[in-house]
Amino acid sequence: MIDVLIRNGLVVDGSGQPGFLADVAVEAGRITAVGRVDGPARRTIDAKGRVVAPGFIDPHTHFDVQLLWDGGARPSISHGVTSIVPGNCSLSLAPLRAADREAVVGMFQQIEEMPPEAFTTAFDWTWEDFAGYRAAIERNLAINVAPLVGHSVIRQWVMGADAQARAATADEIAAMQALLRECLQAGAIGLSTSFVDVDARGRPVPSRFAQFAELDALCAVLGEFGRMLQIVPEFYDTDITIARIDQLAELSLRHDIPTTFSPVFDSAATPDNAPRALARVEEQFARGARVWPQMQTRPIDISFSLLRPSLFFARLPNWIRVLRKPLAERIAALSDPETADKLVADTGPDGGERLMGGLIIRGGDAAPAELAGKTLSEVAAARGEAPARALITLSLEHGLDVAMLAASRGHDDTGRIGPMLAHPLVHIGAGDAGAHLASFATYGDTGYLFSEFVRKAGALSLEQAVRKITADTADIWGIKDRGRLQPGMAADIVVFDPQTIARGEERPVFDMPGDGMRYVRDSIGVDTVLVNGEVAWADGAYTDAKSGVVLA
Amino acid sequence: MNARAASEAVIVDAVIGAGHDGAAELVLTLRYENGATAPVVLDADIGFSLMRVCGASSLAELAGHSWRNLLEGLEE
Repeated sequence: MIDVLIRNGLVVDGSGQPGFLADVAVEAGRITAVGRVDGPARRTIDAKGRVVAPGFIDPHTHFDVQLLWDGGARPSISHGVTSIVPGNCSLSLAPLRAADREAVVGMFQQIEEMPPEAFTTAFDWTWEDFAGYRAAIERNLAINVAPLVGHSVIRQWVMGADAQARAATADEIAAMQALLRECLQAGAIGLSTSFVDVDARGRPVPSRFAQFAELDALCAVLGEFGRMLQIVPEFYDTDITIARIDQLAELSLRHDIPTTFSPVFDSAATPDNAPRALARVEEQFARGARVWPQMQTRPIDISFSLLRPSLFFARLPNWIRVLRKPLAERIAALSDPETADKLVADTGPDGGERLMGGLIIRGGDAAPAELAGKTLSEVAAARGEAPARALITLSLEHGLDVAMLAASRGHDDTGRIGPMLAHPLVHIGAGDAGAHLASFATYGDTGYLFSEFVRKAGALSLEQAVRKITADTADIWGIKDRGRLQPGMAADIVVFDPQTIARGEERPVFDMPGDGMRYVRDSIGVDTVLVNGEVAWADGAYTDAKSGVVLA
Repeated sequence: MNARAASEAVIVDAVIGAGHDGAAELVLTLRYENGATAPVVLDADIGFSLMRVCGASSLAELAGHSWRNLLEGLEE
């Protein structure tokens, strides 16, 4: 008998071909038929008016820790994501000796902004090697996981404290090769490295101390398995990024491996950055290299409070002078009526309405919860103050711990970004899900792809967009039997409304260990999500299904 | 103009951009002696250091300053 029969949907199968009306049958975790299907089924889902597509694959996440207590990597599944790649940017939780945990946890906290309780109370450290970590997460998976192993932790394992001090010797490189080989055999989908990240003390992470010979040797091991190298290049400098693209191309050609780098941002401040990087990628693909640039769909928001000086105020001299002061002096200055008057005057005759009125109060901090999501203009009007005055007084009332959001201040020109996302060599990803928890929501980028670039801008067709985040991703990463709705493939399936699929508004939640806060976005228009044939999300709620696997 | 100044890159523009981690960043445009221009992105700490070294209290006051000023300021 059919386990799940999805009827009357518009099947967009991941191939990029036009969608077609069909039924999809699932048995024993596999797709068994796509077409007209008759026969009894244990569960029937009416998908009339809905798209039935392969589950989305998110190739850039930092869910390594969260997976230990939340095997669904929430809220990813609710957005239609059925497979994730954690372990990016040189950091994974294995292989990791017990003695090195503190150091590596500091690196994770720097990237993920996760509370300390996440590492001390939420799970038991039962592993040191990669196979042990895999076993630890496999017990509870609701989502599929294709984990990278981090170059920094491999280095830490072999070199100890010297991993952040010097180049490796030939013997140490050989030991790293053996360790990487062991991780790949245990299910790692590739190696990640970083040229920019720092640890909790601001020191470069271990991977940044590697010389090229070390990376080359590790890529030779990746070549034995045909696995991926992921890197974070010096993305803030276009010329260095281009040099890294060339370096990746050499490694790809020499060892016959796929490589990917992220992020690639477009902004009015650096308009040549993305086009120049993509032009170099085209040149290298023409040589036969595989160098996939990852580009995120969502715009970049600026987040700040008056607790720390922010360059957001760099056009306002009086604000800069005050915000540079030590905290106690800063609070005293902001509390001084004469100084406050000067600051408000600095923002213009409209009291900061133009400069600051659109700022959004983020919530999740000391600000009253009922203000979360409101604009500063709205709050100021309710208080009978000008926006700049309201920013000062509201911040003072709450110890300056009032976070503000300046939305869409980079990577936000849909007319420029849409064609880049549609480019056949651009890999849609780089969303960083599971990271930057206290800064902004890293979820819902797939919904935004459909709402902004398919429906609003028409930069991609529905079929193109689905292909980009399903079959293309599976092919790039060598993930077999995923990414397409075809008989014999794993039944990772999302049913969504093409007219409404989107990301929800950003909101703070306190669902991290120790009541830690993070920003999330709910899904919109995603009806049902199947992971390996079991319903993991339906009717706006998660199920108890634990059908995720490690994609080795 | 002395020889050193003639060979230095000069800041010709400064704007605020959005960084990967959600923080505001300072995007400088440098003009080199051969006339080429290129952007440099600085985080908040270094951006404020640059403004301090240049004696600038706003972005507009950065234009015309030597790029070397930043390097010397960071060494302090």
